[in-house]
Amino acid sequence: MGEVILTMNDIDKSFPGVHALDHVHFDVQRGEVHALMGENGAGKSTLMKVLTGIYTKDSGTIEFEGREVEFHNAREAQDAGVVIVHQELNMVGHLTVAQNIFIGREFKKGVKIDDKRMNEEAAKLFKRLNIDIDPTATMSDLTVGKQQMCEIAKAISHEAKVIVFDEPSAALTESEIQELFKIIRDLREQNLGIVYISHRMDEIKVITDRVTVMRDGGYVGTLITKDCTKDDIINMMVGRVIYEEPKTKSMVPEDAPVVLKVEHLNAGKMVQDVSFELRKGEILGFSGLMGAGRTETARAIFGADSKESGDIYVNGKKVTINSPEDAVKAGIGYLSEDRKRFGIVVRKTIAENSTLASLDRFMKGIFIDKKKENEITQKYVDSLATKTPSIDQLVVNLSGGNQQKVVIAKWLVRDCEILIFDEPTRGIDVGAKNEIYKLMNRLAAEGKSIIMISSEMTEILRMSDRIIVMCEGKVTGEIGIEEVSQEKIMTLATRDIQ
Amino acid sequence: MEKIKQNPIVKKIGFNRIVLICVLILMYLLFCLSTGGKFAGLPRILSALNYAYFLGFLSLGVTFVIATGGIDFSIGPVMFCSALISGYCLTSLKVPMVLALLISILVGLCFGIFNGYLVAYWSVPPFIVSMASMNIAKGVASVFTKTQSVSWPQAADGGWFRKLVKIGNFPMGLIILIVAAIICACLLNKTKAGRYILCLGSNREAVRLSGVNTKKWEMLAYVICGILVGIAAIFFVGAYTTVQPGYGDQYNNEAIAGCVMGGTSMAGGLASISGTLIGVLIIALLQEGILALGFTKDYQLIITGVIVIVAVYADVVARRRKN
Amino acid sequence: MNNKDINKQSILARLGGQKFIVLLVVIVLFAFFSIASEDFRKYTTVLSILDYSYYIVLMSIGVTFPLITGGVDLSIGTGLICYSLAGGYLVVHCGWPTWAGMIVSVLFGVAIGFVNGYLIAVKELPPFLATLCTCMITRGLGSICSKSFGISWPTAGTPGSWFRSIFKFSVGGTKYPLGFLWILLIVAAMAFVLNHTKIGRYTIAIGSNKEAAILSGINVKFYHIMAYVISGFFAGLASIAYSAVFATVQPGTGAGFELEAIGGAIIGGVSATGGAGSIGGALIGVFVICLLKTGLPFVGLQANWQQIITGLVLIAAVLVDIIKKRREAK
Repeated sequence: MGEVILTMNDIDKSFPGVHALDHVHFDVQRGEVHALMGENGAGKSTLMKVLTGIYTKDSGTIEFEGREVEFHNAREAQDAGVVIVHQELNMVGHLTVAQNIFIGREFKKGVKIDDKRMNEEAAKLFKRLNIDIDPTATMSDLTVGKQQMCEIAKAISHEAKVIVFDEPSAALTESEIQELFKIIRDLREQNLGIVYISHRMDEIKVITDRVTVMRDGGYVGTLITKDCTKDDIINMMVGRVIYEEPKTKSMVPEDAPVVLKVEHLNAGKMVQDVSFELRKGEILGFSGLMGAGRTETARAIFGADSKESGDIYVNGKKVTINSPEDAVKAGIGYLSEDRKRFGIVVRKTIAENSTLASLDRFMKGIFIDKKKENEITQKYVDSLATKTPSIDQLVVNLSGGNQQKVVIAKWLVRDCEILIFDEPTRGIDVGAKNEIYKLMNRLAAEGKSIIMISSEMTEILRMSDRIIVMCEGKVTGEIGIEEVSQEKIMTLATRDIQ
Repeated sequence: MEKIKQNPIVKKIGFNRIVLICVLILMYLLFCLSTGGKFAGLPRILSALNYAYFLGFLSLGVTFVIATGGIDFSIGPVMFCSALISGYCLTSLKVPMVLALLISILVGLCFGIFNGYLVAYWSVPPFIVSMASMNIAKGVASVFTKTQSVSWPQAADGGWFRKLVKIGNFPMGLIILIVAAIICACLLNKTKAGRYILCLGSNREAVRLSGVNTKKWEMLAYVICGILVGIAAIFFVGAYTTVQPGYGDQYNNEAIAGCVMGGTSMAGGLASISGTLIGVLIIALLQEGILALGFTKDYQLIITGVIVIVAVYADVVARRRKN
Repeated sequence: MNNKDINKQSILARLGGQKFIVLLVVIVLFAFFSIASEDFRKYTTVLSILDYSYYIVLMSIGVTFPLITGGVDLSIGTGLICYSLAGGYLVVHCGWPTWAGMIVSVLFGVAIGFVNGYLIAVKELPPFLATLCTCMITRGLGSICSKSFGISWPTAGTPGSWFRSIFKFSVGGTKYPLGFLWILLIVAAMAFVLNHTKIGRYTIAIGSNKEAAILSGINVKFYHIMAYVISGFFAGLASIAYSAVFATVQPGTGAGFELEAIGGAIIGGVSATGGAGSIGGALIGVFVICLLKTGLPFVGLQANWQQIITGLVLIAAVLVDIIKKRREAK
């Protein structure tokens, strides 16, 4: 560990309605790997976006190599030597790997872009990093893991002094993660400052030197990794929030009937021969790496995407589901991972969103019965404890957790027996997260059956009665909550990947 | 300013609408003054209203399409196509008047179904469908009428349909337009169809994943638009008698202008029928005023173009502030 | 390396495949009309097909760029007429030399293109709406420029008419379609721009994943504007081709030209949703439309049918693209 290369002091940033960063302090030294930890919504990504100029800070200072700096966009940050590997993939699908890696700083021969040289340079880069990717391949043809590796290669190919990895391992297999760690150690040897954002506690212990923890947009503290335990970090991350007790055994009665049975479901590469059963009152966790095909499976069951083959039985009766319309009729509700895009109609009111799936019940002749609509909506706002001044509020003005409750209300108004929750707590702050957990447990106790897809290991372990693990579009295993462990899940999640 | 906006009466009517009405009145006064009072007479007002009728129906129609987040700029040529085909049936094939009027609506309906089917069921981008059906409408009309213009009969020669536009000096058309607007407003704000159209304009996928057959409702918006375009054709010939094949494009922009000025968002999901109506009156007054001041139609094209750009930009800014 | 072959094949199938099929369509159409009508086979017919094609091809090359960004430029049709009228007015009524009028035409196009780009890239207006407005505005401006009269650029034989022989060169009474040579050169040049320069690459990036382009530090606004400037520039060039081929330019016309240009580009393989396209494809695509336009009267259909058929062909081309994508998605 060496001198401090980057210091962020007293950084403050507000978005309308959210105090995203509350006077945060953070620094990175040369030749260290510094973990930035915190729950979803703690403000880690926001802090890094402020650093690289994607967001402008409201107040505070950034010092880089001893000088105060302010980057106005990603390009300026890159040029100065601060590079970020984003959590979301930022690749131009229509271009090749090499074209993507060198986008914005192409080699040129006169006015002509020198693609040949770019391919050579990219090949050299991959060789150095020991990655096997063809630089001339079209980006959209690669797997998610490979695309992530390209993203990392792209970041490294800059003459970076500080590299930020924002949850790089979410899409990677065990062996790819090992490769990544090797790369990171190399970079540390070269005296770079590295920021590593991750949820996985094991990784933090293996690869990082220091840990800074954030909670609810605030700075909690910084620890030396080798001097602290996992529990120290968890305590700092969770803080005042007391979560629902983790389940130790299945809460589903032995004789609970099967409400949903999926047999030999096939839909493209991402869903291959998926079969499973869901019982009444059960929370069935779906685990796996990013791109394992869990969301695709859910969407195929729900009829959102077309499927090639497979049978679905609801309450023992075979149903044909070709569209979400059919699925909803069969009593299935789907809570999407991307709430803003697929869940809520942002510029409409809570009432309009809540009754969207069951408008037929609110008709008086050809007109909508607004009175009844308001009554029912109010009932669910009360019972789910949705925080809002009124039911005429546009959902865009609600916080993430409350938006999620509106989506849940939509399915409860419709009386769906089977609920598919796809990453139900993504982008929701810590307090609201626990409320969603409570709500799910309550729903299950009331006899609803829930499929929960989640990438957060802790969430899977805490909530599920039973866990199904997927890998590359196939179900690789099923574990009861009594015998589950993180290691078992990881083994199954990477079983089919060479 | 904020104080005025918070006033309960202002809130009830809507601040934007009050501004629009003020603009309308100011424009009227301005034209009256600059023409030395000549503009104030009944003939000018009736003439402006003539323009407002058909434009009003076009605008009402396209409001539904824009509410879904789509666009239809084939409406002008389709209106001409409706007027030409039904007029040709009336004058050359001697079909009864009632039937001719029905044919006009039917032609509009056909184009509505065509556009709606391609956009909703095949996800063809709306602007491409518009371009294509604009040309198809022009082509069909020309082929049908053998590139001849068509004149609808005068009131004395059995053109009783003109009573729909004007009885003596009484602006019957205005009554019909307002009634139509009220029906449209009910349809948009109080029925299932309207609810789904607005919601899917705001977020199509979310509505589809709520188990709603979005394709059906999206197509319906285009079909409603088609019917209203067919009605617009009747009011066009009721006011202007003669239609020539190969034209009609300029009305697209004016109809869309009326819509957008009235507060309908180009991004979809937000629409105001009463706003559209006021917007149309402004456009109609503007075109009459420009002619009264002695300018050619060309200036009106330019001014309408600029108005639409400004109105849409205002919408973009408003949306950006909200997010 | 096996991977590489597959990728090469898919690219070939994606771009080359469509171009190849469309080229076949062109040949089949030409053969059909030639067999059906004796007059169609004449050299003068071929000349007139080419004459008709120049301005559409030029517009089509230009509009390919906005289309690849996922936008569209509807102002090129009426714009073309407006630029030609403005330049022509200066030449005919103000005594400007022909070359100066031509430069004015092109600059006018660039200016309108810049306005479009500014409204779309900086002010974030929907492309079809912004350009629909400039379409109306240029139509009005054209009439005002020419005082609502038609303008005839210097006709063959009169002084200043040299520019007409850029496109049709006469040697001893025989006319040669010199314009086609220029078109081929321009197509080659713009294909180079699209595939091997920053402008082209970033145009694709904007259409494919704008967010990624911004995060890569590209000045997205500038390149987004450039796409429309290119479109305007080529509308300006097209206006010269139009002035050179036709005797008189009438104000109030031009609406519908853009359909032929955009249709040509899309038939030639530009994705209607952005991200991919080819200049060579646009050239071939335009010929499908031009052949239909000139060929149909020879088989006894009125010219009006061409409008209908162009509309249907456009829809068909987009549908093919959509169906192909749906298949790929499965």
